[in-house]
Amino acid sequence: MRIQEHPILGTYDRGEIVSFTFDGKVLEGFEGEPIAMALKNAGVMVHRYTKKEHKPRGIFCAIGRCTDCVMIVNGKPNVRTCITPLEAGMEICTQYGVSAEPSNGGEKK
Amino acid sequence: MKRYDMIIVGAGPAGLSAAIESAKRGMHVIVYDENAKPGGQLFKQIHKFFGSKEHKAKIRGFRIGDELLAEASALGVEVVLNAIVIGLFSEKEVTVKIDEHVEHVKGDTVLIATGASENMVTFPGWTLPGVIGAGAAQTMMNLHGTLPGKRVLMLGSGNVGLVVSFQLMQAGCEVVALADAAPRIGGYGVHASKVSRCGVPFYLSHTIVSADGDDHVTGVTIAEVDKNWQIIKGTEKHFDVDTICLAVGLSPMSKLCDMAGCQMEDNPSKADFVPTVNKYGETSISGIYAAGDVSGIEEASSAMIEGRIAGIAAAAKLGFITEEECNIEIEKQESALEGLRQGMFAPGMRGKIITETDEGVEVSQNLLKKGFVTEEEIERFPGVTHSEGIHPVIECTQNIPCNPCQDACSKHCIKIGSNITALPAVNPEAKCTGCGMCVASCSGQAIFLVNEDCGDGTAEITLPYEFLALPQKGDKGIALNRNGQKICEAEVVNVRTAKAFDHTNLLTMKVPKEFALNARFFKKEA
Amino acid sequence: MNDRNRNIGEYIPADDDNIIVCRCEEITKGEIRRAVHDGMFTLTEIRRYLRTGMGLCQGQTCTKLVKSIVAKELGIRPSDLEPATGRAPMRPIEMYILAQDGEDMK
Repeated sequence: MRIQEHPILGTYDRGEIVSFTFDGKVLEGFEGEPIAMALKNAGVMVHRYTKKEHKPRGIFCAIGRCTDCVMIVNGKPNVRTCITPLEAGMEICTQYGVSAEPSNGGEKK
Repeated sequence: MKRYDMIIVGAGPAGLSAAIESAKRGMHVIVYDENAKPGGQLFKQIHKFFGSKEHKAKIRGFRIGDELLAEASALGVEVVLNAIVIGLFSEKEVTVKIDEHVEHVKGDTVLIATGASENMVTFPGWTLPGVIGAGAAQTMMNLHGTLPGKRVLMLGSGNVGLVVSFQLMQAGCEVVALADAAPRIGGYGVHASKVSRCGVPFYLSHTIVSADGDDHVTGVTIAEVDKNWQIIKGTEKHFDVDTICLAVGLSPMSKLCDMAGCQMEDNPSKADFVPTVNKYGETSISGIYAAGDVSGIEEASSAMIEGRIAGIAAAAKLGFITEEECNIEIEKQESALEGLRQGMFAPGMRGKIITETDEGVEVSQNLLKKGFVTEEEIERFPGVTHSEGIHPVIECTQNIPCNPCQDACSKHCIKIGSNITALPAVNPEAKCTGCGMCVASCSGQAIFLVNEDCGDGTAEITLPYEFLALPQKGDKGIALNRNGQKICEAEVVNVRTAKAFDHTNLLTMKVPKEFALNARFFKKEA
Repeated sequence: MNDRNRNIGEYIPADDDNIIVCRCEEITKGEIRRAVHDGMFTLTEIRRYLRTGMGLCQGQTCTKLVKSIVAKELGIRPSDLEPATGRAPMRPIEMYILAQDGEDMK
C-alpha cells in the first residue's frame, strides 16, 4: 500500500527501514514515519478494542485529534500512533480498553 | 515570563502570513504549532490554487507552504513545533505545552489561527477501521506516501470531497462512487468534472446506510434520501470497498477564542461558532486577533490574506508603523480578499440556489446533479467556440474567482477581464498557436485544445493529464466523454511535459472527428 | 428560546438509537436523546450527565454531532444552543505535566 511514485509529488523522503514488534510479531517500517503508517502498510487495520463495547478501532483522523488510533507503545497506553514517529525496536501492542493491561479494560470476545 | 510583540497560535497559511507581515515591520514574533510540521493543511494540497496572481493562483498548495516557510524563516520568525497551546488567559498570557512542561508567555498581541476541524456523520459501522476523514486520506497519501485503501467511497461533494477524490485516483486508488445527501454538488463544478470524466459516478441525494465489516470495512451501502433526509426504501446500492472517506464539511476550531473571552457568534455563513472580528481581524478583546478558518471557513487563499491583515494591523497597534501606513496596506489586502469573495461560491452565497451566471447564462443542472456538463449544455458557455484549426475550449461554467488562463495565453485568446469571477471567453480574433499554456495553467483542468477536423476524418484533443503511468506517443486506448464513459478508440499522438506546466502533462489524442466535442479523457486499454 | 418549562414530549425510541456518537466514551444517540428528556437541556449538562466529549479526544469529533441531536430533540436550531464552556487545557494533557506547572516559578 506504499505509493512508489506520485504524479505530482514524485518519490517520498523515507527514513531507514527498521524493525518493530506488533503484538510480538516482528514487522518493518520506515524510521520516523508515524507508527500508524507502518502498521497500515503491514496490513494492520485494528489498533485497539474499545472499553465498553469491545469494538475495533483504527486510523480515523490521522492528525492526532480523534485519538481513535491509540495503542500501547513500549508499555505506555493511549499513545496516538498517527503522530508518534516509529523508532527501531518499538514494542507496539493492541490496546484493550483505556489502560495497558489487557484484562483491565475488557478483553475482546 | 517571556514577552513577545506577537504570539501566533497555528503555523498554517493564516498564522505564517501574519508572522511574515509583522516580522517584516520589526516585530518580535513567535509561532506555536501543535503539529510536528508547519504549514497547516497546505502541504497536503497538491492541486493548483485558484484566484489570481496576487493570490498565488496556479501554484500548488504545498509549494505555497514552502514559500511561506522560506519567507518567514528569512525574516527570523521563530516557529516552535510540537507546541500545544492549552490556554489563553487575561492580559494575553498564553500557556503552551512543549515536551514535558508547560511554558507561560505573554504577547502584546495574540493571533489565533487555529484553523478548522472536520465534521463527521454517523451511520451504523462508522466507527469501523477503514472509515476515515478526508483529511486523513490526504495526510496518508500526500505526506506519508501511503494509500488509504484500494477501493474507496467518498461521502461529500464539497471542494474537499471532490479534490480528495481526484487525489485518491492520482495516488492509485479506485474511487467507486461519490455520494452526497445534498441534492446538488457543493464544490466547484470544474473539480467535479475532472472526477466525473475519470468515470466516478456521482450519487446526489444519497447517504450512507451502513458500513459493513467485522474488524474493518469490507463494503458500504448507500441509498437515496427524500426532501426530509429520510432514506427511501428500495433505493439501496451496495459497493465492495475497503475505505469510506468522509468529507462533510469543516468547523472553525474557535474554542481558544471562546475561553479567552472573545465575543462569539453562531454564524451559519461562516459555518459555525466564530469570534466576532472587525475589518482588521481583531476580536472584541483589544490586541487579540483571529484569522483563517477559525474566524469563518474559506479557502487557504483567503486565510493567507486575513493573516496578512492581522499582522499589519498588529504592527500599527504597537506603533511599528503609522496608522496611515497601516490603512494603505490593509486596503490593498482587502481588495485582494474582496476578489476572492465574489461569485457563486462567495461566503454569503452558502445554501442559495443559483440558476444563471453573472453573464446571464443558464447554469448546467447536470453539472450540479451528475458532476458533468452535457454536450448540449456546454455549447452555451462563452469559453466554448468552434473554429478551424487548433483552438482552446474552456469548459469553465461557473463564476469562480480564478483567472490564470487569461495571463497564460500570450496571444490573448482568452479574456476574463478585471472581474476575476467572470466566465472566460474565447477571443475569435486572436490566433491560438497550440502552446498549451492555458491547459496547464487552469487550476480546474477545464481547458482543452481541440482541432475539430484535422482533414483526414480525425480530430485532436489536448487534455491535462496528472496520472501515472504517463501514456506515451503511439499508445492506443479509449477516449472517455465528460461522464467517463467510453465513446471511441483513441491514439496518443503527443505527450508534452515541461517545467512551466508543473506536472500537468499535456496529452494529445486523436479520435474520429465526430467525437471532437465530447472526447475529454484518455484511458489506456487494460 | 431554551425554556425548561416547555413540554418537549415523550422520548420515542428510534431505529438509529444504538449508533455511537461520542466515539471515545461510547455514548449512543439514544442515550443522548433520553438525557434530553431526563431534563438535560444544555450541552454542559449533557456533557456532565453522560460524559460525551469528555473522553480522550475531548470532544474533537462529537461536539457538533451532539449539538445537533440535542437541538433536534428540543425542537430548536443548533445555533440556539449555547456551546459547552471552553476552558483550558484546550488539548488532552497528562496530569503530571500540569502538576509540574509553576514549579519553576517558586
